[in-house]
Order: sequence, then C-alpha cells, then structure tokens
Amino acid sequence: MSQDNVVGTDVAGISNSLSNILSEMIICINGKQPPEVHEKALAQVGKMVDASTRVIWESNTLTERECVQKIMKLLSTREGEEDKSLPEHFFELYRKLTSIRFDPNTRHSLMTYLLSMVDNDGRSAANGDADAHSEADNLSQILSSRVHSKNGSSLTSLNGNGLVNGGAGYSYDATQASIGLSQQSLPNYVEATRMMPDSRQDIVTNAIYSFTGVQGKYLKKDVVTGRFKLDPQNMKLLTAGQAGMLLRLSELGYYHDRVAKFADVSTGFNAMGCMGQALISKLKEELADFHGQVAMLHDELNRFRKAQMNRIPNKDGEPDAADELTLFKLLAWYIKPLHRMQWLTKIADACQMKKGGELASTVYDFLDNGHSMVNKLVEDVLTAICGPLVRMISKWILEGGINDLHSEFFVESLNDVGADRLWHDKFRLRLSMLPKFVPMEMANKILKTGKCINFLREICEMQGMMREREELMKVMDTNVSQFFSYTPDTSWHAAVETCYQQTSKHVLDIMVGPHKLLDHLQGMRRYLLLGQGDFVSILIEHMKDELERPGVDIYSHDLSSMLDAALRCTNAQYDDPDILNHLDVMVQPPFFGDIGWDIISLQYIVQGPLATMLEPTMPTYKLLFKPLWRMKHMEFVLSMKIWKEQMGNAKTLRPINTEIGKASHRLNLFTSEIMHFIHQMQYYVLFEVIECNWVELQKKMQQATALDDILDAHEKFLQTIKVGCFVSSKPNVEHSLEGVYDNIIELEKWQSGFYKDCFKELSARQDLAKIVEKSEKKGVYGLTNELILQRDQEAKIFAEKVDIACRGLEVIASDYEKAVSSFLMALNSSHDPNLQLFGTRLDFNEYYKKRDTNLSKPLTFEHMRMSNVFTLNNKNYPNSRFVIHTPTSNE
Amino acid sequence: MPSEIITLQLGQCGNQIGFEFWKRLCLEHGISPSGVLEDFANDGMDRKDVFFYQADDDHYIPRAVLLDLEPRVINTIMGSAYSKLYNPENVYLSKHGGGAGNNWASGYGQGEKLQEEVFDIIDREADGSDSLEGFILCHSIAGGTGSGMGSFIMERLADRYPKKLIQTFSVFPNQDEISDVVVQPYNSMLTLKRLTTAADSVVVLDNTALNRIACDRLHIQNPSFSQINNLVSTIMSVSTTTLRYPSYMNNNLIGLMAPLIPTPQLHFLMTGYTPLTSDSDINSQQPVNVRKTTVLDVMRRLLQPKNMMVSTGPDKSNHHCYISILNIIQGEVDPTQVHKSLQRIRDRKMAQFIPWGPTSIQVALSRSSPYVQSNHRVSGLMLANHTSICSLFERALNQYDKLRKRGAFLDQFRREDIFKDDLTELDESRETVDCLVQEYAAATREDYMQFSVKRGAGSGDSKSEDSRSVTSGGA
Repeated sequence: MSQDNVVGTDVAGISNSLSNILSEMIICINGKQPPEVHEKALAQVGKMVDASTRVIWESNTLTERECVQKIMKLLSTREGEEDKSLPEHFFELYRKLTSIRFDPNTRHSLMTYLLSMVDNDGRSAANGDADAHSEADNLSQILSSRVHSKNGSSLTSLNGNGLVNGGAGYSYDATQASIGLSQQSLPNYVEATRMMPDSRQDIVTNAIYSFTGVQGKYLKKDVVTGRFKLDPQNMKLLTAGQAGMLLRLSELGYYHDRVAKFADVSTGFNAMGCMGQALISKLKEELADFHGQVAMLHDELNRFRKAQMNRIPNKDGEPDAADELTLFKLLAWYIKPLHRMQWLTKIADACQMKKGGELASTVYDFLDNGHSMVNKLVEDVLTAICGPLVRMISKWILEGGINDLHSEFFVESLNDVGADRLWHDKFRLRLSMLPKFVPMEMANKILKTGKCINFLREICEMQGMMREREELMKVMDTNVSQFFSYTPDTSWHAAVETCYQQTSKHVLDIMVGPHKLLDHLQGMRRYLLLGQGDFVSILIEHMKDELERPGVDIYSHDLSSMLDAALRCTNAQYDDPDILNHLDVMVQPPFFGDIGWDIISLQYIVQGPLATMLEPTMPTYKLLFKPLWRMKHMEFVLSMKIWKEQMGNAKTLRPINTEIGKASHRLNLFTSEIMHFIHQMQYYVLFEVIECNWVELQKKMQQATALDDILDAHEKFLQTIKVGCFVSSKPNVEHSLEGVYDNIIELEKWQSGFYKDCFKELSARQDLAKIVEKSEKKGVYGLTNELILQRDQEAKIFAEKVDIACRGLEVIASDYEKAVSSFLMALNSSHDPNLQLFGTRLDFNEYYKKRDTNLSKPLTFEHMRMSNVFTLNNKNYPNSRFVIHTPTSNE
Repeated sequence: MPSEIITLQLGQCGNQIGFEFWKRLCLEHGISPSGVLEDFANDGMDRKDVFFYQADDDHYIPRAVLLDLEPRVINTIMGSAYSKLYNPENVYLSKHGGGAGNNWASGYGQGEKLQEEVFDIIDREADGSDSLEGFILCHSIAGGTGSGMGSFIMERLADRYPKKLIQTFSVFPNQDEISDVVVQPYNSMLTLKRLTTAADSVVVLDNTALNRIACDRLHIQNPSFSQINNLVSTIMSVSTTTLRYPSYMNNNLIGLMAPLIPTPQLHFLMTGYTPLTSDSDINSQQPVNVRKTTVLDVMRRLLQPKNMMVSTGPDKSNHHCYISILNIIQGEVDPTQVHKSLQRIRDRKMAQFIPWGPTSIQVALSRSSPYVQSNHRVSGLMLANHTSICSLFERALNQYDKLRKRGAFLDQFRREDIFKDDLTELDESRETVDCLVQEYAAATREDYMQFSVKRGAGSGDSKSEDSRSVTSGGA
C-alpha cells in the first residue's frame, strides 16, 4: 500500500505523463507487486500502446466504456482489499488518461487489456471452486463422450456433476482438479467465479466439447435438427461476440455428429456390403483422428490451466496469454477439421444405402475437386472402398472365383445356369454395380478373363494356374488406387491386361488347337450350309426315295447309312473324321401330309467345350438349313426330274412331236424360266451371301486374338446369312418365294401327268403300227374300220387332253409369274441394298421389267426415299461392295 | 463312285484331243503318266473319281474308252509315256484296221457291225460306276470314224441309256482351208443330225476359230495340231473343273448344262477362253508374264467375239443374242468383285440377251489345280448358248447343198447299208439341221414362244425357207 501511495504522490508530483498513469493503473489492478513483475506488466502495457493497431481486434468484444465499467466493477468486487477506493482511483486515472491527447483506439484496447488483466487476476485468484467444477465437467464430458463414441452407446446425460462430486477421488480428472482445489480452496472465490458471466475458459471448454458433439453449459443440441444452439438460460452470460463464435465453432460438432452417425452401423442407413464396411471403417478412422486432435486441444487447455493454477499461489509470474486457448484460436483451428468433416459428411451422405460399384461411382464423383486436401481425402476414401472390389477382381481374373456375399461385384454368376451354357449365359456384367470409372471395355475384359478361367477349369477340365499368378496378384492388390486412375496405363491396368491376354490366348489356343473350333465351323459351313455341293447332291441322290415318301414311313436309321454312304463317296471323305462324326441326319416328327423333304434335316452334334461355344448358334443353323434345303429340293426337282425328263422324252416322243410340239415347247421355255430363277437364287444365296461372308469370316478368324472375336464374327456371319436367305425378312418375300416353289412342285406333277398321256398315245400308235405290220405280213389289209375309228377317237381324246394340259400349264405359268413378280417387287422395295441388287440381277436382261409394268414404273416416293438411303449408305461405307456407279480404274 | 462320267474317244481327232485332255487331267490331279498318284498330290481338295477310278490305293485309271477303226493314233498313244494309264481292255481297235476312209457311212456301218464288242466295253464301264451321270464323246464331225461311228454310238447310247446325259466335244472342220476330204459336207450334215437328235449338249470346237486364235492371239504361224489340241484340252479341262473341284454349285453335269440349255434342240454351246497363252509362254515360266487381271477384265474379254472358239462370221443383221452364259472363273478372285463386275456388264449392256425369257450371266468360281502353275492371276472360260452358232450350220447346209445339187461323191455312200436303198437319210439330216437353224433364228425374236417348225414338204431338195437361209438359191 505504501508503494501505492508513493506512486500516488508521484502522480501528483510529476506531470500526468502517460507512463505514470499506466503504471498507476497497473498498480491499481494488480495491487502491490514486486518491482520486476510490475515492470513486466508495464512493459506489456507499453507495448500495447505502441502497437495499438495490432490488437485492435480485442476491441470488438466490448466497448471502451464497458471495459472501464467492468474493471471498476471487478475492482470493487475484489475481496480482501482493504482499500475500497480502488475503483474511484482507477476512474480518476482513466479520466487523466482521457484528458491527454491519446489515440482513442489505443485507449480502448488498452482498457480491454487492463480488463483482461483484472479478469485474469480475479480468476487466478478464484481459480478454486468454479474451475474445479468446470474442469471436472469438462473432463467427465470428454471421458463420457469417448466412452460414448467407442461403445456407440447413446449416453445423453453428460453432466457428470454427481459423478465428480461423489467420487472425485477415484478418477484421474478429479485428481487433477483436486490439485487446484486443495491449494486454492477459497469459498468466496468459488462463489465469485461461479457468478462470473464471462468465464472464458468455460466457454472454450464448451466449444471443445461441442467439437465432439457433446452438449455443455452454453451449447445445447436442437432435438430436431441436431444442430447446436445456445442454451437460453446461460445465453445472457455470454457477450454477443462469444455467442457468435461459439455458434460458429459448434458447426464442427454438428458435422462430427453427422459423420459419426454415418459411421454408426446401427442406424441402418449406411453404405452396405463389403465396400460399405470399408467406407464405414474409413469414416471411423477419420473420426478417431479427429478425436485425437480434439484431445490435443484438451490437453493444451489443461496444461494451461495447470500452469495457471501452479502459478497463482506462488505469484511467480503472470499468466501467459499467448498459451491460452481462446475462442479465436479455436476459430483458427477449426477450419481445417470442419472442412474435412463437411466433405466426409457430404460423401457419407451420398453413399447412404449404396453398395458396390454404385458406391464407388458415387465417391468417384467427389474426386473431381481442385482442393488438394479434398482430393486427397476422397482419394483415400475411394482407395479404402475399392480395396475389397480390387480383391474381388483379382480373385476373379486370376482364379475365376466370385466371393460376393453382398452382390457388389460387377460380374455376376447365375447359379441356375448350367455348365453347358457357361460361355454365353452363366456370367454377365451387373451393370448397376459397375463403377463409372471402369470403362465398358475394361469391364468386358475382366468378365471374359474370369469366364475363360471358369471355362478352362470346368469345361476343359484343365487345372493349370496362370503363370506369374502371384506377382500379378500382388501388383493388383497393392495398387488399388490405380484402379480408378485417370490414365488407364498403370501397372494395375497392365496386370489386368496381361491376365486377359494370357487367358484368352490360352482358351483360343485350346479351342482352335485340340478342339478344332475352326474346323468345326468349316464343317458346319460345308454340311449344314450346303457348301459342299457334291456331298449334298449325292446325299439327295441317295435319299431320293426316302425324301419322296410320306413322313410317317421314314426312319432315321435308314437315313444314317445313306448319310454315311454319301460321306464316303464324295469329297467329304477327305474331311477330318472328327468333323464328320458330328454330322447326323435328323427326322422331325411329321405333320400330316409331310413328305421326307419336309422333315429330314442335317444336324451337327457338338459336345463338350464345343457345345458350350456353339450350342447357342445351333438354332440359327437349323433355321438356315431349312431354306437352303428347300432350295436344293427345288433344284433337284427342276433339273433331275423336270429338265432331265424333258431332254430324254424329247428324243423318245419325237414321233408325236406334231401333236405335242407346241405344248412341250411351252413347257421347255417355262422350265428354263424357272431354272434361271432357281439357279440365280441359289447362286445368290450360296455364293454372294454365304461364300462372300465366309471369306470375311475366315479373315476375321485368322486375325482373332480371343475366342470371343471368333464367336462374335461367327454370330455376325450367321446374322448376315439369315438376311440373305430371307429367313428374317419381311413375310411377303418369304411368301412369294414359297409361291414360286409351290409352282415348281405343281409343274412337276403336271409334267408327269402330261408325259403319261403322251406315252400312252405313243404306245397306242406303236401298237397300231405293229398290227398294221403284222397284217401286212399276212398280206391282208388288217385295219378294220372299227380300229381306225377307235384310233381316231383316241387321237381326238389325246388332242383334247393336250389342250387341257396346255391350259393347265398356262395356269401354273401365270401363277408362277405372279409369284415371281411379287418377289421381285419385294426385292426392289427392300431396304437392303444387297437385295435390291439381287433383284436387278435376277432380271439381268430386263425380261421381267418389260412384262411387269409395276417393275418399270418411274420412281415413286417410296423408291426415291429408298434410293436416298442407298446413296447414304454408299457414302457412309466407301469401301462397301455395294458401290455401283463408281468407275473402276481398269475400265 | 458318284456322278461318274465316261469319256469316249472316237477316231483320229477324237483320240488326239482325248489324249490331250487326259494328259491335262493327270497334270491337274497330280497323277503320273503311269496312273500313280504323285507324292505331292494328297491335299484331297479335288474329286478324282468323276473321271478316274481307283484300281488300288494310289493307282488311278481313266474312265475312258478309246475307239478307232485304224491303229495310227491309238498306237501313238500306247507308245507314249501314258500307255500304262489306260485300261487296256478299254482300247478298241477294229480288227481289219482299215479305217473308215473319211466316209461317214462306212464309219456308221462299221459301228453297227462292231456294236456288240464296243458296247461290251461301255456297259462294263457303266456297270463299274455307282451312279453314272453321263458320257462325254470326243470326235470330229468331218471324218469317217469320229463322225460315222460316233453318230451310231450316240444313237445307241441315247437308246440304251435314256436317263444318262450325252455331252460331246465336237470338232468342226476348218472352213478356211480346202479339205482333202471331199465328202466332208455330207459327213458333217449326217453327224449334225445325230448331234441334234441324240446328244444332250454339244460343245462346238471350231477348227476355223481355233486356227484363227492360234494365229492372231498366240502369234503362231501355221499352228500345229498339238498347239490347237492344247487349246482344246484347256477348254475341256476347264469346262469340267467344277465337277472335279466341287464347291457350292454346278457340281454335276446336269447342274452345268440344265441352266444353259432351254430347249432340247438348242444345245450347241460355244466356248471362249481368256487369257490365252501359247505353249512357249508356259514353258518359259517367266514370272513377268503374270498379269494383274481382274474379274471384270476377264468377264468383259469373254464377251468379245475374237475370244470365241467358234467362228460365226460377222453378224450383219446384229440380231443374234445370248440365250445363256456360264462363266467359269479360276484363280485368285475376290468374291465380292464378282457381282460388281456383273452389275457393270449389265449397266453397260455389254451383252445382248434373248428377249423371250429371263437370262443372265452365271458365274461359277472354281478352284484350280494347285499343281499347275498359271501365268495369270485370273482366268475364265465362257460356255455360252448363242444364237449365232447357227451360222455354222448354215454354212454346213450351204456346202452340203452345193455338193448334193450336183449329186457328187455319192457313190461311196451308196455302197454302205444305210444308203443302199435311197439317200433319204441325207435329206432327213438336212431337214433336221435346217429345223435347227430355224429354231436358232426364231430364238432371236420375241415371239419364240409361238415358234413351230416349218417343215419343207417332202424331201430335202429345194423348198421354201426362212428368207435368211442361204440354201434356197443353191448356186
């Protein structure tokens, strides 16, 4: 006190210099202190005055007037001070300070600083009860929140007062708290501090609680939104600035809660499956990390408190404001974790109820972020998620196994599909589970690789593992993040590519090598698509009796021997017996009226691995065989029966040529017309369609690197042929073609009837001639009038018959003509340029065009449109073979 | 074996071209002159059993019957390296060996006398085949044996094997040089009748055109028989190539002939071949000669008259047309080129076709023998039924009429049985050929559908004819 007085006198004596005032103010606040402490405080205040602008922020919280009032209030409430005039003294000093010319801002900040000094003073003095309380609260809260987060229990009552109060001695925190307590057990202080409205430490602690989602004195959770809000009761204890900062800080807590919720399996809204689990564990990892950081804050806070507590009783130094954890510091600190939590929340929110590839795709969308931290975070998350997927992939492409309890893998194995359809149907892509960063091509490669392995193992019964399997597996499993790399040329991709290449090469080698796939395809083309012309004609020749028979009288075992005979005596005999053994004759159950032609067909029986490959194409072959066989049937009827009979009978029937000449001439010409049609038709189908496409297919087969290349090319080949054979064309084409065929059968029937009559007439005449000859020998004129009359009558009847036959022929001919022209119309108006060309070539010398005005009509709208399509096609495919009007160089 | 074809070689000319034909087949199928399969020939692409049969595992024997009335040519064959190729039982030489003296009637008569022995051979050969498809007859129409005996055998074959096809390769005499056989017009006329009535298909090998081609195209002055025969053997072998190297179509004789021949009469086919190379070219083996020919080139050249192996003379009225065409293309052909070429030919109207029915150029792509080196990338043979072939018959009629009017050289015919009583056979033959000419002429017109033969009343001297017919005037 004496010092005070001394100073006081100094004030009176010396001018009201700034330093004096300050010094007095400090004394006013701190009371008597050792000179060095006083000097230090003074120096700090002086520093503050010099660098006033630097601390301007401090003034944001309270106005200068408020500061002064608070200081005075605090000073007046100071207990244990004898001199009750301190506030008045301070006010006196303050008035002096205002009287000197002094920057008001600096003054303001100075006051704020002094306030903090007063406050500190008070607090350090009154650290006791209130702090013990808050400290205990704080710690128990942290503890319980940790317990809570670890156990996942939903403890909501966090006020550990009872616990701390009851058993403070047992807990670590209590001990710590008790240190402060035991040393500064001043009931008055406790009372005072409790009342203290702006206990900053308390607020900071509360803020830190809120980081981990724990409610405190000031911050309570909104029941509905889960957001923190200020406790209405304690709100008035806070200044507006503190309240704002607290609310801002509490945002982190909110996001923490969200993330924690997403990581909580019990909610049922998590991401699902293995990859979902990976995500959850990644989230938990992030949370643990975050909790660690928060714990560090707590530590810091505690350290500071401890330091303060230790210091105050000894008075060995003023509190180090720089070490103190303030809301401002927290504001600076919380930005990073907040950012991180926000992103985690966003990611986790998007991932709710998702699994597998969908999950990966969702996360992948976040990857496109310019912020390096976010990018890294998402990459980490994605890596974690893709871990299980990559393992699934490596298991699949190296061992062919699928271990996919949650149906997350983008390859799917259908359990109810048998081994016989392994290649085509057993495995397929589950497109919904395909991560969007895996291109379709890649996915297909992965699918095929595993499929190949399964095929090799199950169908070919080969157990060998892939070379370098271990290394590849290692490469794949350790480079998970390359899985979703932007550049698809990482070592991971290379490993997958290697697997694909090796496996598909292996399968290709096995199929083409030991299983002779190409030979079988060739065989099917030769025998099922009738490429081996001599074989087909001989087979028909051998079976011709059976083919004419009613369907019910046909037995397949008879046919098998005929097939064998046909194979033996044609060039087919040079073919590989392996191929020939697959060929068989099949007899379908006949419908009423069916003859052999309708029900006998060739089929190719495939077994084992080949069946797996080729079985799906078999129906197509069956479908194709029908029109081809029908065409051969027509050719057979036309040339072996109709034409050959005509040629032979023309010689024999020459004697009655005068009577039948006209009819047979018409017959010949009609036959030649049909012959032309059928031959052109056959030529078109067998050569232009099948042979040309076969050449293409062969080229592709030579270039194939994987089995699927061959199978795809083959599939395409069959499709093209289907169009070319009019199998899948418009019904009118097929219908008119059938009309043409029917007329051929009609003609054959007509012809045999016609020739029967002719031969009857011929033999009657020959008989008559014999009688004449005989009677001439006898020397009598042997012909009676009766005989002559009878003969004349017969001749007349015959002439009538020929007339009728001629008319019948005309009927067939006109029917045929109708059928052909409707067929040609269908071809001309076809969308397929190939068929259009075929139409023009069928009418090579424009015979039909002259006869049928419809065909030579000027281009109608439809034709115009069609020709446009045609030219467009030409433009699109400059190398297409349909280019007609381009001049060739050799012209 | 299936679809077998038996080859009959008759007379000097027939045996010569037949010999060349078999030489060629042996070469193409990798069969040595002694009938043994060569080591390199085992790829199984070809079908040997149409023309050969297997005596044992690697011994092939031609389904050929060699007939002649004089021993010269057959002796040459039997003295050549190929003597062991043929089945000796199938070689028939008439005992007296005097030949037919270039007399159709003599050949015909001798054929009748020897028919039992000849048909023993043919029947045996026919029985030895699984499903005989037909006969190929090689002969000339001008001489005695090939024409006379050939005519008789054709008639008998048509009788005996009504279901089998008879195709002939008939050599027509060279019109540019004066023949030493004075009765050639008679011989031709009589044979032509049989070719019209008994054969199913006749491939006309016109010596006139062959000589011209040898001179003009191959630049050989005074071409020898062997050079001409080389051309002939090429045509014969290529025209049977689809039978021997089967693929998707035209694998039997009927499949080859049926689309070409619309009515029983119009069965005279002409041939064209391109590119033509002479013997020396083949022997020189210069790779420089391999030319980049395209399918279109080949098909277009085949339509040019100068490549035709029949000299039809200039078609003044320009109304002759193709009844049907079959192109057999060999070599490295891009199948997709074929229909492009066809479309071009159609668009350019490079060929004139009959107006009375649909027709087109058929194309058969055929493999060629891997054992014979070709100097050309692509080669093609055309078998065509063209109405202008009737000019050949008109010419024959013309020459016949000149001779017949004068009644010249008929004595030697009267000596034979068939003409013992009268010469109606000659007149009938003339009428048949005349009808044929009429039909071909009618086939150029749109109303061919209504065609009926106008027969001259009675015998074959002067009668009303088609205005274009050269016969009416006589001299």
